[in-house]
Amino acid sequence: MVEGLLAPINLIIAALGVGFLLPLIARSSASIARGLFWLTQVFLLLISSVWLLRLIDGAPAVEVITAGIQPPFAINLYFGLFEAFVVSAVNLSAILGSWYLIDYFKSRAASMSVYLILTMGISGMVMTRDLFNLFIFIEITALATYGLLALDKRPASLAAGFKYIIATSLASTFFLLGTMLLYHLTGTLNIDDMLLHMDRITGPVGLAAGVLLLVGVIIELKPYPANGWGLDVYETVPAGVAAMISVGVSAGAFFALYKIVPLLGDFLPVVAAVGGATFLASNFIGLRQRNVRRMLGYSSVAQMGLMTLALAVLYMLGKSEYVTLVIGGLFINHLLAKAGLFWLAGVVDRPRTEAWVGLRHRPILLVILGILLAALAGFPPFPGFWGKWELIMQLSAGELPFWVFVVLLGSLLEAAYLYRWFGFALQDDETRAPAVEPVKLIPVGLFALSLLATGHLVADWLGLEAPRVLVPIYMGIILYALDGMPGRLKALLVLGAFAVYAYPVVMGLEGLHWLFGLILLLGGGVIAFAVLHRSDARRGFYPLLGMLLFSLASLLEASSTLEFFFAWEVLTLSSYLLISMGRGAREHILTFLMFSLGSAFLILAGFGFAYGETGSILLADLSKVEKSATLVFMLLTLGFLVKAGAAGLHVWLPGAYSEAEDDFSALLSAVVGKAAIFGLLLAAMHLAVNGVGAINQVLYVVSWLGLISALVGALMALFQEDVKKLLAYSSMGQVGYIVTAIAVSSQLGWVAAGYLTVNHLLFKGLLFLAVAGLVYQTGTRLMYQMGGLIKNLPMTYISVLIGIIAISGVPPLTGFGGKWLLLNALFDKGWYWQAGLAFFASAVAFLYLFRLIHTVFLGQRKQAHKDLREASWLLLFPQILLIVAIMAFSIWPKLLIDPIASSFAGIFPEALIWDGTMLKTRLGYWDGFMVINIVAGVFLVPLLILLFLSRFMQIQKVKQFNIVFAAERPETPETTHYAYNFFSFYEKALGPLLKPRATAFWDGVSEWSHTIGSTLRVLYTGNGQTYALYVLFYVVMIYIAVGGMG
Amino acid sequence: MEFWAVKIGYFLITLGMVTVYGLLLGAIIARTMARVQGRIGIPYWQPFLDIIKNLGKRTAVSHGVMFYMGPVFRIAGGIGTLAFVPVIYGSEMFSNFHFAGDLLLAMYFIFFGQLGMALGAGESGHPFSAIGVARGLGQMTAFELPFVLAIIAVVIQYDTLSITEIVAAQQGGVSNWTLFTNPLAVAAAMLAFLGMSGYPPFDVFTAPNEIPIGPPTEYHSSFLALMATNRAIFASAKLILFMDLFFGGATGLIEMIIKTWAIYMVAVVVGASFPRFRVDQSIRFFLRVPTLIGIASIAFVQIFLLG
Amino acid sequence: MDLPVSTITLSTGLALLLIGMWGMLTQKNIIRMIIGFSLIDTGVHMIMVTIGYLSGGTAPIINDAVDRLTALQDVVDPVPSALVLTAIVIGLGITAVMLAFAVQIHDKKKSLSIENCTESKW
Repeated sequence: MVEGLLAPINLIIAALGVGFLLPLIARSSASIARGLFWLTQVFLLLISSVWLLRLIDGAPAVEVITAGIQPPFAINLYFGLFEAFVVSAVNLSAILGSWYLIDYFKSRAASMSVYLILTMGISGMVMTRDLFNLFIFIEITALATYGLLALDKRPASLAAGFKYIIATSLASTFFLLGTMLLYHLTGTLNIDDMLLHMDRITGPVGLAAGVLLLVGVIIELKPYPANGWGLDVYETVPAGVAAMISVGVSAGAFFALYKIVPLLGDFLPVVAAVGGATFLASNFIGLRQRNVRRMLGYSSVAQMGLMTLALAVLYMLGKSEYVTLVIGGLFINHLLAKAGLFWLAGVVDRPRTEAWVGLRHRPILLVILGILLAALAGFPPFPGFWGKWELIMQLSAGELPFWVFVVLLGSLLEAAYLYRWFGFALQDDETRAPAVEPVKLIPVGLFALSLLATGHLVADWLGLEAPRVLVPIYMGIILYALDGMPGRLKALLVLGAFAVYAYPVVMGLEGLHWLFGLILLLGGGVIAFAVLHRSDARRGFYPLLGMLLFSLASLLEASSTLEFFFAWEVLTLSSYLLISMGRGAREHILTFLMFSLGSAFLILAGFGFAYGETGSILLADLSKVEKSATLVFMLLTLGFLVKAGAAGLHVWLPGAYSEAEDDFSALLSAVVGKAAIFGLLLAAMHLAVNGVGAINQVLYVVSWLGLISALVGALMALFQEDVKKLLAYSSMGQVGYIVTAIAVSSQLGWVAAGYLTVNHLLFKGLLFLAVAGLVYQTGTRLMYQMGGLIKNLPMTYISVLIGIIAISGVPPLTGFGGKWLLLNALFDKGWYWQAGLAFFASAVAFLYLFRLIHTVFLGQRKQAHKDLREASWLLLFPQILLIVAIMAFSIWPKLLIDPIASSFAGIFPEALIWDGTMLKTRLGYWDGFMVINIVAGVFLVPLLILLFLSRFMQIQKVKQFNIVFAAERPETPETTHYAYNFFSFYEKALGPLLKPRATAFWDGVSEWSHTIGSTLRVLYTGNGQTYALYVLFYVVMIYIAVGGMG
Repeated sequence: MEFWAVKIGYFLITLGMVTVYGLLLGAIIARTMARVQGRIGIPYWQPFLDIIKNLGKRTAVSHGVMFYMGPVFRIAGGIGTLAFVPVIYGSEMFSNFHFAGDLLLAMYFIFFGQLGMALGAGESGHPFSAIGVARGLGQMTAFELPFVLAIIAVVIQYDTLSITEIVAAQQGGVSNWTLFTNPLAVAAAMLAFLGMSGYPPFDVFTAPNEIPIGPPTEYHSSFLALMATNRAIFASAKLILFMDLFFGGATGLIEMIIKTWAIYMVAVVVGASFPRFRVDQSIRFFLRVPTLIGIASIAFVQIFLLG
Repeated sequence: MDLPVSTITLSTGLALLLIGMWGMLTQKNIIRMIIGFSLIDTGVHMIMVTIGYLSGGTAPIINDAVDRLTALQDVVDPVPSALVLTAIVIGLGITAVMLAFAVQIHDKKKSLSIENCTESKW
């Protein structure tokens, strides 16, 4: 009995039966009708999900035979794993989606039956194996959709609905014609039977049949440009209906395509092109869109295009076994995320993207939106991430670099408009926080959770060490659950958990990984300690901080490119969100995200082509790449260079580093930025050491790029008034040296790189933390508004002093060792010009460093700062640790150089020789221990002499303005403190050399992308007849494309 | 330990000698300039008198710790630079602590005193100090470029970063001097030297009529004495470095004195004949012709000397 | 001239299809567009019937008039005719919905021109 109820055919029967009964029942009792409606939906979901579980467990697929006659003589339905999966997903979206249509259902009982029949039609489209039956179900779905379109009586909705009807009815007419022609040729309507008689589908009729069938289905998927009608509907109909069309109807249509694809062998390239063009064009157009629903419509259309592309390409490559992961991942991702977003758009009900301001004050709403968007943009751990990863791998393996490019470019554009929208939601405006009934958030919240869950399932299913790669995510979730606790407690929790987790990780690593284990994890821990200085709750901060720190650990633990990329993306996402918490960060976060994603996609492509050649995703197997080594290395290097802020690719950096919250800036610059260095070294270690292909040329270019970054960074830093911007540009410049050192690709070079990296971690952490205290105390970031603070913040002054000496390379502190190693490496390599540039850049760096310390701590103090106090000791404590480290490494450079050298041992011929405390290279020598002693001597002796002399002098401490002044009498610090536009003459001297060319270039790129979008969308006139014309043209185009003209 | 005692002893001797020489050199230059202008000029011992007088001041004014330490930093920078440069080739006594580090160390240590001085001057709160420092540093970055290019050319030429070895390679006759084997590098370096020495046309950072004295404006009494001493030591150290790198070094004291005096005279002669550049002008100047010469010198070495 | 009936139905069907398309694409009036759609629909139905028709074939009823062994060559394919019935019903349904939309649009806009239905575009 129960078994009989659960028969898959009941998916059709129950919905149809109840659907027709409902209007009758509603006449007597509306509430019974509503109860029955919900019950039926639950029943449908129950059938499909029970079967899904059974089929997953290995039960055989169900073959439903109608009329008691075997196919092909009667219609048969097939209910296998894929079918069960899609039907369950659609039923789930249907039941949750009807939540948002309750008001409509109350007013018109008939709409409930229409809704049920729509669900049924989609299930039928998925299940049937008969082509004409498929037509019937397409039409049932269409009719039901038309019915729902009429729910909303606004003129715009009606107009859009009518356009929709015209286009889809034309499409189904083509489908019908195609079906009949195929019947004419093969004598059967059964798809499986047709597949047996493929040889009969020939000649012009066969071609026409294929084209008509294909267009019939493809149009339902709304290909560019024949999709204006679909977008109009997304924009105007109730959100629940839009979600159902975007998710349910499209799922049915896509499954129909999936079924007929085997019939279309020769057409596959055209199908792929249709999908690719739609994906790219829709995402370009999406850039111009400010209406939330229409924007989601473009995204929806784009996702369908991507799936179409993926399906066609996988079949073309004969890799249909990957359909499950790629299409399945993309499908469920799209389904959950897009339905959720449409619902959310309905709940919040603000048509324009810029009106979403204030959402940040509704944490749950924001988190849900964040999850849905992250999923849609392909971030881990969501299923779309896995699908896109595998798609790129297979495209690369199939040597289809063009499609790799299209997929990645399209994804980048999609992320651009989605995250621009999110940027508005992040904007701080309490007064505009939307009022939302919590009940309304249940379905969309469920979908957000399902996204997380499916992400986990996929990771598990792939046989990854799922718990390990997912640790950062879990950490974020757990900490988010504890977000109500006091701020410092949470901080301690994050730091404690991280320490416990990271310690064994570091201990278990070796070589390069071990070195970066110390840099990223130990360094990260020390600098993250500073978060304790704030006692406020900082909602959302600690979960994200946990995610960030733990993703650094998983980056190091990654043994495959997939795990690496996973961790990299988590790192990107958590940095993005953390940066967005900065007060003035809003203008910069989108740029940050775009460049980060661009970087990630370059890396992804690099991993893809490596996989394409070796068939392995192990990181260690990167070294087996030979043929495409140059390409892979270039892609990876370029990707990591973006994150390292190399000149030209750096425009995201100053804004992000300076506008993040002050203590997080330290972490960002000192630690997170080092992940890119780790990546560069990793890529170089596996690919560049052998010097195959044109890799040496690439390295040569990189060496220049690094030093140009060093110079540009230093020059830009000169002219900043904002102390954090100064440090941000300084980071860019200093990382430039590291990049060059890596490019040298010798023992000297890499030891220099390691040394510079550690040193940068120490001094930049120190400086950013010191500045954090400074900004916290003074309440400003503009240096000319400070001055004379040495007397109020002496410890902070010492931090900055040590920091700038360590940067500038002045002996005896650590900076000199780095410069010495780098220059020795460059000389040894014969890169003399680069050496010259390195010298020059470090001289320029000296300027901004002096400015930093002078304008803030020296000169005249402002009246308002008279009573400022030293920064919190919790902020000073990590600084002291860093100072101790700098001093220790200055006195005993061997402490630092030995471990670095040992982590690169065996890769290059030894070029560094220790002779006691003396370090020798082929060209030069340096004894750091002796130098610091001599310097201490030559410093102490005059100091003692002066102290001695002072005994005979009356030294009088004088007041602030007591100076020998030749101009007017100094009166206010503002007019006496020389600080603003400190190096104006430098600007005058170099003039046009300092134009922000990179920014102008990228602004141009953005402008051009928008222009492309504007151009492409001109076709959407809004006229239903024009749209019908496009549908007709589409037939002709496809016909020509598949060779119908010749 | 004994090694160190001897080394320190020798260094103190060198230091004393170089200080005396440096102060005398200052006087000689001042007298030379005076003669050019038709005056008699100061007595040779005037710089010594100045220092003694300043040391004897009974009162002083301090603006803070950094201000107090500024001159110490400054003189430590001068002495340190000297310590890392061998003064006389082949002489144990005058080789200083050059074994602690190579040419790069000496070059980077030059910044040490400048930084400390700048910080001390900064704390005085005098705007002219800050303006002077800003200008001085700006100009420094500019002349650093041709200087560094010249040094790179020398390093390529002799394939070593050790100053002693560079001097050694120039022994055996005047024709082995860098001046003659690689004139372009020397030209670039000497142009940079003009900036380094702070004579006109590159003296705007101390511009007497605009920002009197520049960075050391607020310094006086013992502080000033330390700085004046340093000026002698630091100038000599730089001269010795130039001599070692470009003019064959010196095998004896007399040779050293003649050579360094001659090198210094270049700056003096130019200084006596030119008016002053604005900072932006001098930056542009150094980044044009001298830099081009520096680049040419490296190309020259790579093409003609290394083949 | 002896035209086979299948040629006549096929060409009529195609002609209706084309006329219908012409109507849908050129007529601004929504009702006329719907008529265009009906014509297309009818055209398609005629084509469908033609596809199954066999010149000179008999009705697909297995009785004495048909030799069982050669039935496949002699009788008209019954399937398309059966399918056409379904298709006609569906076409009717769609036409009805279209007309319902037309009524609603006329109610709201007091106009039946498709050119007035361009609220959303781009």
